[in-house]
Amino acid sequence: MKDNTTKTGWLGLPPLVVGLGAVVAVVIFGWQFLLAESELEVLGLVALAAVAGWAGGKTGLTGSLNEAMRGHGRTMNGAIMIGLLAVIGLLSEEHFPLLMLTTMLLYLTVGLGLNVQFGLTGMVNFAGAAFFGIGAYTSAVLTTHSAVPPLLILIGGGLMAAAIGFLLIVPVVRTAGHYSAVVTIAFGVLFKTFLEVNDVLGGPQGLMVDSMKLFGWDFNDGPQLFGIEMSFYVNYALLGGGLAVLAFMLTQRLERSWLGLALDSVRLDETASACFGVNVVRAKVLAFTFGNILVGVAGSLYGMMISFIAPNSFTFADSLLMVSIVLLGGLGSLWGTAVAAVIVVLLPEKLQILQEYRFLLFSGLVIVMLLYRPQGLLPRGVRQFFPSWRPQR
Amino acid sequence: MTFSTHRRKLFSAALAATLSLSLAAPALAKDTVKVGFIGPLSGGVSNMGLGGRNSAALAVALRNQDPNAKYEYELEALDDECKPNVGVQVATKLATNRKVVGAVTHYCSAVAMGTVDIYHKFNLPMIVWAAVLPDITYGNDYTEIHRVNGTMINQNETAADFMTGQGYKTWAIIHDTTDYGKGHNKYFSQFLTEKGGEILGTFGVTSDQQDFTAELTKIKELNPDVVYFGGLTPIAVRIRQQMDKLGIEAQFQGVSGIKSDAYFAGLSGDLAEGTVTFLEGAPAAKLPGGEFFLAEYEKANFGEDYEAYGPFSFAAMSLLLDAIEEVGPDRKAVNAYLADVKEHDSITGPITFDEHGQNTVALITKYVAQDGKWVVWEDSEYADGTRKLTGK
Repeated sequence: MKDNTTKTGWLGLPPLVVGLGAVVAVVIFGWQFLLAESELEVLGLVALAAVAGWAGGKTGLTGSLNEAMRGHGRTMNGAIMIGLLAVIGLLSEEHFPLLMLTTMLLYLTVGLGLNVQFGLTGMVNFAGAAFFGIGAYTSAVLTTHSAVPPLLILIGGGLMAAAIGFLLIVPVVRTAGHYSAVVTIAFGVLFKTFLEVNDVLGGPQGLMVDSMKLFGWDFNDGPQLFGIEMSFYVNYALLGGGLAVLAFMLTQRLERSWLGLALDSVRLDETASACFGVNVVRAKVLAFTFGNILVGVAGSLYGMMISFIAPNSFTFADSLLMVSIVLLGGLGSLWGTAVAAVIVVLLPEKLQILQEYRFLLFSGLVIVMLLYRPQGLLPRGVRQFFPSWRPQR
Repeated sequence: MTFSTHRRKLFSAALAATLSLSLAAPALAKDTVKVGFIGPLSGGVSNMGLGGRNSAALAVALRNQDPNAKYEYELEALDDECKPNVGVQVATKLATNRKVVGAVTHYCSAVAMGTVDIYHKFNLPMIVWAAVLPDITYGNDYTEIHRVNGTMINQNETAADFMTGQGYKTWAIIHDTTDYGKGHNKYFSQFLTEKGGEILGTFGVTSDQQDFTAELTKIKELNPDVVYFGGLTPIAVRIRQQMDKLGIEAQFQGVSGIKSDAYFAGLSGDLAEGTVTFLEGAPAAKLPGGEFFLAEYEKANFGEDYEAYGPFSFAAMSLLLDAIEEVGPDRKAVNAYLADVKEHDSITGPITFDEHGQNTVALITKYVAQDGKWVVWEDSEYADGTRKLTGK
């Protein structure tokens, strides 16, 4: 998914130019991919991305990009945000691609939350979909039965997920490794069963969720701009984008801070960290809660956008999909999570053209990717203690 | 998915025959009109979805062969996985695609309940081909929503009537806790009490439960004449197996959701034997246009069976295409056309929509499992007395 149009020249180009070029290329690619309909277009674009990624690695583009991200972080981040806005703008009249884009952004937020738990602290959470569902159900109940402003409901969804997550704190912190993973699996299954037998929350049939409203502005009305009526999903895409950016910034700051360092050390060796005075329990509680809040907030907005939720939408299989985003991107790698979210959300949808064979091909692709990139698509680099420090060659 | 191009071949040899049908169409320059289909193409009930998809594809292919057709039709078939959130996603995809004029959608009631608002919002005329929950049509006043198959209300009235007629007195009811199962429980209990049957116990189970020992042990104590199950094939198979394991000697009675060939695939022959079930409409061969449908389906050489609701999918798609032929590819006009469909010819018998878009012709057929096949009751060896239902 990197620029390969300027293949011959980029070694001579300054990293910033290469970086900005890559952002433009990714924006154009994303725009076309979201619009692609026929099998030829979709498969062609997937192949193009694979080739570009491979060629980028071979010819040193990836290194050049890393340099741009390191040396011109602010400019690059700004460019990426403008790029996201550009994609939303280009698609402003297309309902479905925007729905997919927003879903992707929300799954990115989820992926970031799980990354703090799994990638940084080493706690696998197989109940991602359950916490996502807690957020969505919080929106459903609060939008239909209370006058709480929807923006607060988003936060409420996150807090609710954190609060219910507290119930799991004791078993999760007391057990380690595989055992704590089993605790979360049990919780995920319990959550779905609870919803299915609970008629107050709609039972297996599910609940309607009211739309997002901001200062009297109903998100389910398409905004008018220069006389053109845009898709109402533009609202959700912008809010989802804002949420994802915020989550990204928070996670990145967390990772770079001493807190992130503590989380890392807990993952690598609990006993050793405890010996050096790191409070292991506090680190685990922090990571678990932080992750759940992000997942809950994303679920809350997802519920409002989809406007109808049911227990079937939050199954163990969905949790696995969320964990696979983290694994596919590379443990602890935030940009990897972003790339993987695109693949995991968009690819099965784009493969609808294959009908009943789509999950077969999707699973095959994931296995192949993990065979050749066992560390994930964009493995996390070694922690840099001095942000602008570069190894001398 | 484009049935009129040859790229399909890459993905499914099974659909190659449809392809030849559509290639045989005269190469006149007609306008292309897109129609949609949504059903579960993957997951536990994919056999139903694939059967419906094939039948809808057949309706489109036959229309494309017709030299008098005004348009060239293209079918876009999407997979809802029987999950409401995926259903909402694909329904949005269809409804917001301006090229799609109408759609034939949904096997799973829970999915249909989540998506009706979307069809209404984007004004897309849709016809339900298999979901049976009454609320899909009766729970709203949307003009976009129609349904060709009957609802569980008609089905359970016939079921209660028939079973009490056979002389059974007491029932134990198991139902899954989806609205599908709960609705069946509600209507069957209601009609059964009216007809004088007695319900000894009612048990709700989740739709992916594996073990029913707890419920069945209790049922064994109650010792009913009949065990009624309201739900879909996969659980029905497990319950029937575990009934046998626990030695429950009661007649097993199902609902439309278990009338699939997968029921026999899951059970050894003599366990399935004698199960009775009920289905809206009539077996394909007994339908007014059934022989035609069977012959064409056979000719198209699909890899999968058309299953219980294939003919309805075919009928719904044909009705949609008739509407487009009549009023042109315009969503509003098609809605207006569908608003007063009366005595419209179809292979499942005449279709008449009431003010909610529900087909009012309630034809219910009784089936019994005999030698690994679903046989219409009247033609079975059980009806003429050669074999007997359990406890008779």
